[in-house]
Amino acid sequence: MCDWCEKYGDGYERWYFNPANYARRLYKIRKEETEASGAEANPQAAGGMAFVGRDFLEARERGDTAEVERIKQQIEGAMWLTHFGQVITLEEALKITDIMYPISLITCACRRSMEGLPDDENFTCMGMGAGMYKWERWPDTYRGGVHFLTPDEAKEVLTKLNKRGLVHSIYTFGTPYLAGLCNCDYPDCAAIRTAIDLEIKILWKGHYVAKIDPELCNGCASCVHRCQFRALSFVPNRNKAYIDQLQCFGCGLCATECDQEAITLVERASLPALANVW
Amino acid sequence: MLPTITVNDEKCKEPISCRKCLLICPTHVLGLGTDVGPQKFREIDPSHFIVRAVRFDKCSGCMDCVNVCPQNAIRVSFSGGDAR
Ligand code: SF4
Ligand code: SF4
Ligand code: SF4
Ligand code: SF4
Repeated sequence: MCDWCEKYGDGYERWYFNPANYARRLYKIRKEETEASGAEANPQAAGGMAFVGRDFLEARERGDTAEVERIKQQIEGAMWLTHFGQVITLEEALKITDIMYPISLITCACRRSMEGLPDDENFTCMGMGAGMYKWERWPDTYRGGVHFLTPDEAKEVLTKLNKRGLVHSIYTFGTPYLAGLCNCDYPDCAAIRTAIDLEIKILWKGHYVAKIDPELCNGCASCVHRCQFRALSFVPNRNKAYIDQLQCFGCGLCATECDQEAITLVERASLPALANVW
Repeated sequence: MLPTITVNDEKCKEPISCRKCLLICPTHVLGLGTDVGPQKFREIDPSHFIVRAVRFDKCSGCMDCVNVCPQNAIRVSFSGGDAR
């Protein structure tokens, strides 16, 4: 079982379907923590978009696996208490829009950092919950302003972003308080990049694993560009798409693109080798 | 091999409107940050934005960023040198 469902699921199918994890009372905890940690809490503080320092990369380069492991655990431990994410499918994201309120469309801090993207081109991120009512206190975090959305409008935006090829994921701000629904891609999303390039789990895999039915796959390859996690490739000799299930993050983007319905999402928990691979 | 990449903030004055190095880097190494913490009720002034090589583990040493920079603000070195 997913650690977070076990700890914070409280009988709900997923921890992010448990309304208590969006509750205002948790926001207060977050506020104290954030203010106590000062400048470091600024997502845009110098180099703040990267979670690791040179010591980690140097240890990795000289093959010091013990040191790599030590730093990795240190970073993960800190992030899992404060700010980390988990991949969810479009269906799950749509369901969440009926659980939490308010929902707002905001600019993406990662793309602002990695592309310097102007605000009007950068509305791909969703903030939610009590904290959003105080957005005007932090004009820089919310550069470009905030558009409050109805649940139906939020569903429309999410569907559009999915079409564009962006991965949905849900983020804590003071775990287990959930306040971010991000729509991300590699390499400019700090969490995906850190998970994929450095194998540091700031972003957890989702509850599904994708699987191709070779009978139904006609080799059109239109799913291949959808994967942001290096899990999907194409096998020319068989003329079929290929999914590395051990690498798959379960975002479902490949499946929503396949008009042959050749890709299905299976429950991670149903696969013995993957049930505990997050 | 890991490079040492430095950006001279005195020369790079308003990276948020320039961002040429961010866009040209083939492996998206460079990113924007700020040299001040979060400020209540105030947008951070563009002059406080800075460029850093946040993902230097992916730098190939192609020097495109060095060559594109109109202010000659970026140094990329693979022989040690100043810490970033
Ligand atoms: S989109 Fe569907 S049919 Fe086309 S290659 Fe992918 S799995 Fe096969
Ligand atoms: S294989 Fe499909 S479901 Fe798995 S990570 Fe890639 S796009 Fe997402
Ligand atoms: S190209 Fe030079 S001046 Fe422009 S943002 Fe990059 S470092 Fe600054
Ligand atoms: S030298 Fe090339 S790869 Fe390295 S940061 Fe500059 S543009 Fe990117």
